Amino acid sequence: MLRFLLGRIGRAALTIAMVVTFAFVVLRLSGDPAQIIMGADAPPEAVDAFRTAWGLDQPVWVQYFHYFGAILSGDLGRSMRDGRDALVLVTERIPATLALTLPALLIKIGLGIPAGIYAALHRNSLADRIVMVVAVAGFTVPSFVLGLLLVLVFAVQLGWLPSGGQEGWRHAILPVITLGLGGAAVLARFTRSAMLEVLGQPYIRTASAKGVPWRAVVTRHALPNAAIPTVTIIGFMVGSLIAGAVVVESVFSWPGVGRLLVVAVANRDLAVVQCILLLVATTMVCANLVVDLLYGLLDPRLRSAPRRAGA
Amino acid sequence: MPEAPLPVAAAPPRTRRPGPPPLVVFGFCWLALMLAVALLADLISPYAYTALDLRNRLSPPIGFGGTWLHPLGTDELGRDVLARLIYSIRTSLLIAFGATIIGAVVGTTLGFLAAHFRGLVEQAVLALVDFSASLPFLILALSVLAFFGNSMVLLVCLLGLHAWERYARIARGLALSAGAQGYAAAVRQLGASPWRLYGRHVLPNIASTLIVSMTLAFPEIILLESGLSFLGLGVQPPETSLGSMVGYGREYLTRAPWILLAPAVTIVLTTLSVSLIGDWLRDRLDPTLR
Repeated sequence: MLRFLLGRIGRAALTIAMVVTFAFVVLRLSGDPAQIIMGADAPPEAVDAFRTAWGLDQPVWVQYFHYFGAILSGDLGRSMRDGRDALVLVTERIPATLALTLPALLIKIGLGIPAGIYAALHRNSLADRIVMVVAVAGFTVPSFVLGLLLVLVFAVQLGWLPSGGQEGWRHAILPVITLGLGGAAVLARFTRSAMLEVLGQPYIRTASAKGVPWRAVVTRHALPNAAIPTVTIIGFMVGSLIAGAVVVESVFSWPGVGRLLVVAVANRDLAVVQCILLLVATTMVCANLVVDLLYGLLDPRLRSAPRRAGA
Repeated sequence: MPEAPLPVAAAPPRTRRPGPPPLVVFGFCWLALMLAVALLADLISPYAYTALDLRNRLSPPIGFGGTWLHPLGTDELGRDVLARLIYSIRTSLLIAFGATIIGAVVGTTLGFLAAHFRGLVEQAVLALVDFSASLPFLILALSVLAFFGNSMVLLVCLLGLHAWERYARIARGLALSAGAQGYAAAVRQLGASPWRLYGRHVLPNIASTLIVSMTLAFPEIILLESGLSFLGLGVQPPETSLGSMVGYGREYLTRAPWILLAPAVTIVLTTLSVSLIGDWLRDRLDPTLR
């Protein structure tokens, strides 16, 4: 078990190191990093000071290790718009984003999983068909279209809810619904196919053939096994709590991390973009690590197998 | 053929599978329409997509007080919504096709390389797969656009990287299992080069699974491109795509919702059609699901 744990943690650390390397390579490829991070109109002595501080006058390999060291010590550069620490700028926005993505995650799980399980247990019934149609629609309607339609109906036509901004909980309703519905659809579809696959397994037939009540077959045999693929996608959703609302925040002018990212990309504010990139990757890798460890709990077979060979 | 009732044995039950369900037929029809629009854009478009008609600004579509002059209405600058829609369909489909093909080629090649060389190459490919799985694609795409600025070629290549890891995983897994089967070993024993082995023998055997993945990735790429363009970070003006039309129309949501609704409906119907076709193909073709 310890080996499994260490292996997974090592893999997670390697992945984060790759993301840092990616940021380094891309930053070097895109031009003179000192000039880019400091901005075109920075005074030359400031650029030189930055070069020395970040070791840009050194060979590339030394620079790479310096870069790594700076990131490990939390020095992610400054925003070129107002010169503030990029990390502070980004972390300030996290609560606003979580105020949308956490309730949305509850909607996704609370709506998507029961709907998927119900649809699988009543395959080809009317309820199953309705769930599937809604689920496919939820996947194919982009979040900005859904968001704008909700604004058109509930803000413009009916005037019940505000169309954007962040003044109170009423402002969060439409963005949370937009995020939640789309995710619930994805999760319902996923849960349904995971359940169907499990229900077709021989051990389910064995259990019901030997007289186990159907309710017990479902709760004791089917659900735990169907949980494994479902946990993967929930892990992905947890991992994208910080950055999963880029489009929706823009639709509703919600001042979260996603909105910050879009503005930073439009202004080519590279320090901020890089900071968000690393933060998101770290969150994602941690969430994936937890999922991997949960796998170990849910499926003892995976504890010893290093990696499945197939797709 | 006599009209007399035939004995049961003489009429073997027809094993022909039922045709596609109506929704899938609709999907094929809609997709054919979109392809026709994209290919014939220059012929069927009533106006140039940048042409201004300043006397008919924000004119509504037919059925809402509009005229046949502008069947789907016009925008703030008097540009014809139908003409812009036609060119947007062309741009969006072109990007999605290009990106899907790039992703499939890159992913499949890397998957084959991993399966062929094993060892270090395979570990490197798997590490890259882990890397792509660690970042939501939208964030990765936004960062690259921030670092390199924007161009059409970069956008297509970038979207092409979406889902490459899925093809890589499939190609590697299936090539490994193909390598364990008789036919691959036989071809190798006959002295075929790796090119011939993978290109002529393994690829055709796994093509159906790859095609299904492409059908599933295609709508995702349309959604990604329209999302990026909606944010103003994808296709840049004067070019227009379905997403950037929605982004532009958003400013006129209360006064002229048709600017936004026409491309939005097109996006939804197109992704829906391809998804329905993809699901249907998967159930029908994909041998790994049987």
